[in-house]
Amino acid sequence: MALWHPLRRKDAKKELNPNQDVYARFDRVKLTLGNRQVLSDVSLSLSEKRIGVVGLNGSGKSSFVRLVNGLRRADSGTVKVFGSDIDDVAADLPRFVGFVFQNPDHQAIFPTVGEEIAFGLRQLGFDKAKARDDALRFLELHSCSALVDKPFAELSEGQKQLICILAVLVMEPKVLILDEPMASLDGLAGRKIMQKLKKLDQKLLMISHDLSFLADFDRILWLEDGSIRMDSVPGDVLPAFRADVERRSALELGGDDL
Amino acid sequence: MISVYLDRPTWAHRRSAGMKLGLLALCSVLLLPQDSLILFIGCLAGALTLYASLGRDGLSQVLLLKPMIVFFGIILVFHGLFTGWQEGFVVVLRLIVMVLLANFVSITTRMDDMMDAVMPLFVPLKWLGGSPRTIALAVALVLRFVPVLMTVYGGLSESYRARGGKQGSWRLIAPFALQSLRLSENVAEALSARGGARGVFEQNRSAGRNVRLTGLQVGK
Ligand SMILES: Nc1ncnc2c1ncn2[C@@H]1O[C@H](COP(=O)(O)OP(=O)(O)OP(=O)(O)O)[C@@H](O)[C@H]1O
Ligand SMILES: [Mg+2]
Repeated sequence: MALWHPLRRKDAKKELNPNQDVYARFDRVKLTLGNRQVLSDVSLSLSEKRIGVVGLNGSGKSSFVRLVNGLRRADSGTVKVFGSDIDDVAADLPRFVGFVFQNPDHQAIFPTVGEEIAFGLRQLGFDKAKARDDALRFLELHSCSALVDKPFAELSEGQKQLICILAVLVMEPKVLILDEPMASLDGLAGRKIMQKLKKLDQKLLMISHDLSFLADFDRILWLEDGSIRMDSVPGDVLPAFRADVERRSALELGGDDL
Repeated sequence: MISVYLDRPTWAHRRSAGMKLGLLALCSVLLLPQDSLILFIGCLAGALTLYASLGRDGLSQVLLLKPMIVFFGIILVFHGLFTGWQEGFVVVLRLIVMVLLANFVSITTRMDDMMDAVMPLFVPLKWLGGSPRTIALAVALVLRFVPVLMTVYGGLSESYRARGGKQGSWRLIAPFALQSLRLSENVAEALSARGGARGVFEQNRSAGRNVRLTGLQVGK
């Protein structure tokens, strides 16, 4: 959690090859947080253009996607990202695996939109003038140039989330991970963002409680109590998941009043 | 002093951050030993002219002094009763002028320029194995999150009062501390997801890779 980690960049550097199809490979991965087994024995590989992740609260979705960009490390088993062991390439991962959080207010660091976008470029080593220039061009490209000097706090929720996504995209990752990015948006703003996301070159790995966003994804992972309950195309997984939620609520809420 | 950045470019935005901060430091050093009431009234007029030169929304930034009026009043009365009113006015005016000038710099300077301007001050850290960039980033984070923390506190206090609690209760301290920690954890996570405090510098940094603007086919 520390911002500055004396050892972080000293680990032996291995080049990772971001052009391979499979971007993450889990092999018997276990994750424990506190004394809770959050993920148990997950093995799979991720390569499809758009993968959705569904599951009830606490099923381990956030923990699972955090393993892909090294924000969490497995207790046992291996996580390989673009073919390299994640421990070897963690320092480089932000270049290739972008991460968008649920709450934009936790993600934006700088007070104005332009600085927020430029930050990603400075992280890549651009000097200040070039970072600012390119940030402005990038915003123009996404028809947001009017926002460049706007204080982040004054944006609408939809604009905030869009800027957070752009701030990650400007680093040109190969994969974009999104942890419930639409959770604080109204239906319209959510749909607008989704439309943008679908046009990206990047591969998507997205958690969502709104299943309608995932209907045309290539693959859906259904997590339950830390393991993969089902892994298939949306046409199979989404109806099954929905039916399961119905069944549980009938069972748990049943006839009795709360 | 946390205030909003004026998002409309003005002449003052175009001056370099280093120069503005340098002048600010010079003014503080020069004004500190002065005790002439006339001089400070002149300075106040000067400071207000600076704000006015930014336009109407610039001048309205002066309102930021409002929450401090009580504070100034207390200082004035205190000095008035114990050392003399003339003295009191000088002390208060000196404070007001300094606050106004400092705030003027902060509303007309981008955070990243400000960081770059103060970064040389932290260069000695390098000899100790630290990173000036990290400190500069920490400063930026503090400035950015003070208002957020105030909102968090406001939210807590509201929900406490909605359930019958009193305003400003000490009972809010613990939950506030917890929520702040939680927030800082989230922010730290978001920061490391974008390369942490040190960034992910690429090998060819001087070559200045172009943002591959065409690579992202995002529709209008
Ligand atoms: N830092 C932590 N320490 C201990 N337990 C944790 C920690 N973070 C998460 N957990 C637990 O791990 C389990 C999985 O959490 P996770 O956040 O991955 O679930 P999720 O599927 O994303 O849930 P949600 O839909 O609510 O976001 C939960 O039971 C949670 O309480
Ligand atoms: Mg979650």
